[in-house]
Amino acid sequence: MMNPKLKIIEPEGIFDKNKATEYRQLVNESLAAGSTIILLDLQKVTFMDSGGLGGLVMIRKAVIEAQSQLFLCSLNEQIKILFELTSMELVFNIFDNQEAFQQKIINP
Amino acid sequence: MKTTFTVPSEEESLPLVLSHFSKIDQDWISEKDWLRCELALVEGFTNALNHAHKNLPAETKIEIEVNITRENMEIRIFDSGPGFDLAGYIEQLNLEDDFSPTGRGIRILLKIANHLSYTRTSDNNRNCLLIVKEFAL
Repeated sequence: MMNPKLKIIEPEGIFDKNKATEYRQLVNESLAAGSTIILLDLQKVTFMDSGGLGGLVMIRKAVIEAQSQLFLCSLNEQIKILFELTSMELVFNIFDNQEAFQQKIINP
Repeated sequence: MKTTFTVPSEEESLPLVLSHFSKIDQDWISEKDWLRCELALVEGFTNALNHAHKNLPAETKIEIEVNITRENMEIRIFDSGPGFDLAGYIEQLNLEDDFSPTGRGIRILLKIANHLSYTRTSDNNRNCLLIVKEFAL
């Protein structure tokens, strides 16, 4: 059964500052609708730059302020390098894929 | 090998920059080096777009030149902006603050590049951001 408080968001393509702003809006709407767990699945993101990462940091802030939890999964090699260079791999809760997230967080 | 291309000063140019860059991949460059160079190129490009060309029309071109040898990659990004004291800016930047949105792109460039400079071209019409990345052996 789907967890009613879980919202999975799957951005696609190049994740830059503008794309991040769009998704920040979507996350804010989900939080307002009562989601307490947000999973951003980045599998279909082909490229992320510092503008996109800045957007993710703001999304994280909004989620924490709403006393909810943010998780990321399925980062490609490029995004991993970006996170590594900015020490963000220590800041975000990251899973290899949706299955790993489900096992650990939703159905532990 | 060397390649040069120009794109208009608009956010829509980013896929174009990535696509031009993907065509010049060489089999001796590791994936890790390649992805770092790609990220450095994009950060340099968006800096030119958002800062140097902030007040210039979209038709103003940004020229990108990439030189690849067995040892390294040199990326040159030419803009027509007013110029900027990058070295002075870097000096006052807090390089340890990963949360600060200010200068995140520059902090990434500094981590990737073995050499980073921003200078006026000899014809005094443009600026050149030079990013040099030595390949891991």
